[in-house]
Amino acid sequence: MTRDVSHDQLMRFMDGELPPAERQQVSDALKGSAELKRQLVLFEAMKRDLQELSFTPVHAGDSVWNQVTVRITRPVGWVIFLAGALVWIVYGAWVYFTSSIDMWEKLATGAVVTGLVTLLATVIWERYKVWLTDPYKGVHR
Amino acid sequence: MQTEVERELIKQCKAGGPQFYEPIVRAYEGAGLRLALGMMGNAEDARDALQNAFVKAWHSLPRFDLKRPFGPWFFQILRNQCRDMLRSRQARFSRETLDERLDSRPAGDESDPEAIHRRAVARDVLWQALERVGTEHREVLVLKELQGFRYSEIAEILDIPDGTVASRLYHARLALKAVLEEMNAEYP
Repeated sequence: MTRDVSHDQLMRFMDGELPPAERQQVSDALKGSAELKRQLVLFEAMKRDLQELSFTPVHAGDSVWNQVTVRITRPVGWVIFLAGALVWIVYGAWVYFTSSIDMWEKLATGAVVTGLVTLLATVIWERYKVWLTDPYKGVHR
Repeated sequence: MQTEVERELIKQCKAGGPQFYEPIVRAYEGAGLRLALGMMGNAEDARDALQNAFVKAWHSLPRFDLKRPFGPWFFQILRNQCRDMLRSRQARFSRETLDERLDSRPAGDESDPEAIHRRAVARDVLWQALERVGTEHREVLVLKELQGFRYSEIAEILDIPDGTVASRLYHARLALKAVLEEMNAEYP
């Protein structure tokens, strides 16, 4: 760069970010330096071409809001559901252990609950094992 | 979006109303998508990055300083999201589907097919150059040339001192020039 004009000044000049006094200084320097002028012409050509790359997505109407709202509200739904489920489980367990019903009724109810939990656990475990080896797990829809 | 309206919407979001987030998302998703496309190079990854950035911004809203404008703060989150995705190799800059998904800004009133073809080739060369120039240089070029941000805005988004932007741009433009020369692209 020339003695009077730094790289930063040249960039600011080109991008319209220089105060008027400094702008005049760079303009004067450009008149006296063919090398500086050549640099400016080159950078301006690249700038113009890059600006022509500016684009708008063809499907600009497809908002991401639907996906975003699902992702920000779903955790709230899960928290409420789990909190309610926890209350029911604790209450159910308390009723189960303190009720005066016959032993066979307790055993039958216990078997149904244990069976359901076991089935759910095996499904989750299988899905987890498939997920571990899924070659497409990093691919987003 | 007007600053006062934006501030009021963010206040309501902070109070836990996700419905107030919708106008903000809709106001910033166009510019956000352009930035993400410039960084990622393809529409699918750009949309993923944009979604993730909006979700992260939502979760960070309680810490958001209402005296600041939302835009630069959000674009900073988006830029970090793009960088994380590129770094984690979940995605890489890829422009395979770019031309099919995007409408480039029309260059003047060209109707000559030859000229249109020349410009399309030139655009392709530039995209290839942007791909090869590296993430750090690409992001500052995208923010300045494709998004048209001012230096102060770029400084805020990149979280660098105001005075460093010109220097970053100079080195990015030099790097782009070097890549274009390697590709035998002619410049004046």
